[in-house]
Amino acid sequence: MKKKLALLLAAMMLLSLTLAGCGGGKTPNTGNNPGGETSDPGDNNPSDSNPGGSSNGGTITFWNIATDEPDKTVFSYAVDQYNTNDAPNSGFTIEQVSTVNDQYKSKLAVAMGAGECPDVYTHWTGGSLAEYVKSGYAQDLTELVDKYGLRDRYTEASLAQGTVDGKIYALPTKNNSIAAFFYDKAMWAEKGYEIPTTIAELEALCDKMVADGIVPFALANQPQWTGSMYYMYLVTRHGGPDIVTNAYDGSGSLVNDSTIYAGQKIQEWVNKGYFPAGVNSLSPDNGDDRALLYQGAGMMLQGSWQVGSIKSENPEFYENLGCFAFPALEGSSADQTAIVGTLGDVFISFNCTGEKLEEAVKMVSYYSTDEWMKLDIESGNLPPLKAATSEEPAWQDLLVILNDASAVQLWWDQYLPAAVADVHKSASQKCFDASATPEAIAQEQQDAMDEYLAQNG
Amino acid sequence: MNNNVSLAQKRRRSYGICAAVFLFPVLLFLAVYLLYPIIATFFNSLHQWNGISADKKFIGLANWSKLVTDSDFWRAFWNNIKVMVLSLIVQMPIGILLATFLDAVGKKGNAFKALWFLPMLMSSVAVGYLFRYALATNGGIISSISQLFGGGVVDLLGNQATALYAVIGVVCWQFIPFYMVYYIAGYSSISPDIYEASIIDGSTRGQYVRHIALPLLVPTIKSAIILSLIGSLKYFDLVYVMTGGGPGTSTELMATYMYKNSFDTFNMGYGSAIAAGMFILITLFASIVMRLLNGRGND
Amino acid sequence: MAKTDIQLKKSAQKKRTAWAVAIILAVLWLLVAFVPFLFMVLTGFKQKLETIMYGAFHLPETLYLQNYIDVITDVNFWIYFRNSVIVLVVSLVILLFISACAAYPLSRFRFRLRGPVYLLIVAAMSVPIHVTMIPIFQMTINMGLYDTIWALVPTSVAFASPISVFILTGFMEGIPRELEEASDVDGCGLYRRFFKIILPLSTPGLSTLAIYNGVNIWNEFIFAFTLTQSNGNRTLPLALWNYQGQYASNTAMIMACLTLSVMPMIILFIIMQDKLVKGMMAGAVKG
Repeated sequence: MKKKLALLLAAMMLLSLTLAGCGGGKTPNTGNNPGGETSDPGDNNPSDSNPGGSSNGGTITFWNIATDEPDKTVFSYAVDQYNTNDAPNSGFTIEQVSTVNDQYKSKLAVAMGAGECPDVYTHWTGGSLAEYVKSGYAQDLTELVDKYGLRDRYTEASLAQGTVDGKIYALPTKNNSIAAFFYDKAMWAEKGYEIPTTIAELEALCDKMVADGIVPFALANQPQWTGSMYYMYLVTRHGGPDIVTNAYDGSGSLVNDSTIYAGQKIQEWVNKGYFPAGVNSLSPDNGDDRALLYQGAGMMLQGSWQVGSIKSENPEFYENLGCFAFPALEGSSADQTAIVGTLGDVFISFNCTGEKLEEAVKMVSYYSTDEWMKLDIESGNLPPLKAATSEEPAWQDLLVILNDASAVQLWWDQYLPAAVADVHKSASQKCFDASATPEAIAQEQQDAMDEYLAQNG
Repeated sequence: MNNNVSLAQKRRRSYGICAAVFLFPVLLFLAVYLLYPIIATFFNSLHQWNGISADKKFIGLANWSKLVTDSDFWRAFWNNIKVMVLSLIVQMPIGILLATFLDAVGKKGNAFKALWFLPMLMSSVAVGYLFRYALATNGGIISSISQLFGGGVVDLLGNQATALYAVIGVVCWQFIPFYMVYYIAGYSSISPDIYEASIIDGSTRGQYVRHIALPLLVPTIKSAIILSLIGSLKYFDLVYVMTGGGPGTSTELMATYMYKNSFDTFNMGYGSAIAAGMFILITLFASIVMRLLNGRGND
Repeated sequence: MAKTDIQLKKSAQKKRTAWAVAIILAVLWLLVAFVPFLFMVLTGFKQKLETIMYGAFHLPETLYLQNYIDVITDVNFWIYFRNSVIVLVVSLVILLFISACAAYPLSRFRFRLRGPVYLLIVAAMSVPIHVTMIPIFQMTINMGLYDTIWALVPTSVAFASPISVFILTGFMEGIPRELEEASDVDGCGLYRRFFKIILPLSTPGLSTLAIYNGVNIWNEFIFAFTLTQSNGNRTLPLALWNYQGQYASNTAMIMACLTLSVMPMIILFIIMQDKLVKGMMAGAVKG
């Protein structure tokens, strides 16, 4: 029986390998590869399949997550501009492929894993970008950025977030996403609440809200990154952005006073009833957190993309939408103006070389024109461009916070290596149901960090 | 005599050839689309690979030794066992009951059958969304009922102790219709003559079901158990949609853990080891249970 | 005499209560099964803000038709729909035929490799689908099928076939051997026997599988999203993307879309359910 099984397996293996392997490389280009004509993953310098490379370039494939409005319009803009203005001269045309956010990362990973990375693709920088660069799927753009004069257009800080080891590998676009508290100005005025500037004031305010029968924090923490904002801010207020930077390069540890303080504070707040019941099962994808805010919760710590969402789904509420920065921690030596977020919500990297790369960057540079900027601002965003400013009332407070900021701490779940980020998210969620002590939560994150550093040292 | 043997041989050979011809198409699909990928998975499990880069570093059995001692994996496995056991306990009896009812009422039950089948038709996205609301703490059905009777908010999905059971409940809800239809097919293969004969013999409907139909359904029940077992051990969909493995890691299953490692955290090498481990465990489980079920039977 | 009369009465009463209990339970289960579906349909009639504010299990304030109208008038929806139908029909036909073919020798013959093949089928059921994504993506490109709906046919067939063969084998084992032996005397070959006797008698099993696999293929998502990319080649489960943003989704639209895409399956089920009964009759007549 065993022998027969082995025989059968061997025969099938042979069959499957011949079938699956057939064509691997031998098949002529079918013209419908996701990566257009390029991409040989083994090669750090992907080359065009027509080495002559000059005339009649071909298709540049551009993957992004703009499936829904208003993103659809915002992202199609550069593609349309390029295809009408430049395509006739260059011979290249852009083919845009939009995949919904939830599955985008896996689709990209599958394509890259199969050696079929698209020519141009969006991502969220940080730990993932480092992997893309390491694997040879992102090209150094530093020269082209200078050539097209993009340094004059993009804000320095946003370009810095697309930089790895001193070289620019990704161009920022779409939005300056920063985490801040959102609240209902009318409701606050009516109740006589005032914007807290310190954490002590925030706690006093929350106590007052609890006494008034109001849930202070509208948080929906099912996907974990939302609750992580509280954790990140408390750590940053207590110990500054260096805490996580040092842990990443191995010079520091995530087990320290600041992370323990953050864990303790959140658990204290949970006990005092600052968070809604069932906080770990509410989902921001369903809009549960915004629903709480609309229904009269005190405030919501969320990303600035909420401006666009609120504007489009609840115009009435939007009129009274205000926001303020995460309050300062009195007595802390850390810089209290640092913010958590990302300058440029979406980043674009390139997996092509030569003329194709130049044309692709030219296409993406349409995301920095004045006309595009207007379009983007109208959809509720603040593009990561020097010239950008917003007339939107809700953005006025955010602009002040942004301009005052001494440093921007990239979301930990994007900044940290993906494996560590995952542990960070599930560990920080444990603060909210007290299923682990603050020390254990910090230790769990550090263990993941240690394992990563040991592997990638 | 001699003639006889060669005839038997000839006959056996013609059966062999016929079997090969009939089996070939399915085996071809399996070889290309399942066997080759699983071999590739075993191969990848011996490497340190981020899943995207062309360069894979051979590290021997390091991923496997990590897997054997990985408490997260075994917790996920244990969760899968809970899903499996509870699915069997809940889905099988309800499925049989529903099918028995439909078999008894005949054509009159068609409306019931169609409506009872609806959960199976809905996509997991819709099921996940609706049940997230049914179980929600702000205005969900269960919480509202509890508050109506003066109780507090009931948070099933956000509580590490209950989240897995809440999800299992939804999984059962979605799959009971499948087993219902499966048992209906089982019932329909029992000849009506048998029923008539038993009624003439003076047995009631209940007696017929208990003493005649159920024993005839045993093979159907056995294969339903195998299907449910395998399905539970590789379950992914609703957990991913409803909880994403959280809160904490309380609803993490082998498949979600594998998916996270493979596609979210750039640990394809380890993800492959998890997948290969899953594959071995499930096949082992399934063949043991099949042996047990067919214990004194054939083979 | 009198005694049996009382007994009869008693048993009739018992019978009635048993039926009453059964029907109450049946209706209860009807609610459990049907209410979520009902709310999916109703959510499609809500406005976006309403879904956020009051959750799913709240009756819509007004019957807002726009979501359904938007979905129906979207050209893409119909392209996806057409693609889904093609993939479903082609896959289902191939799948049921080859599964029945494979189940025939497994259930009927004694040949040397029967045990190993059966084990292989069970092992194939145990393959976690997600690990196959990268190899299949690669193969699909090599075969020149990437970004065509034909890429989805072999995956649907391959992933549904182990379970189908498994179920059908069990089903065919239940078909009495005497029928076959009778035909053997008539001089039917092994091949004709399959088409003339086994296949027709397997109709209930095949309809069960058609329903089960039909639903799965119709809702198939993983390969649809990895193996296709352009609008013209997507299937219905991807239609939802048009209403899902990075940070906010239009739930009402999604539910309208899901409701509309489930309708063909309901129709298929109702037709198949009829077949299922007919299959039973056919079996009865011949049995």
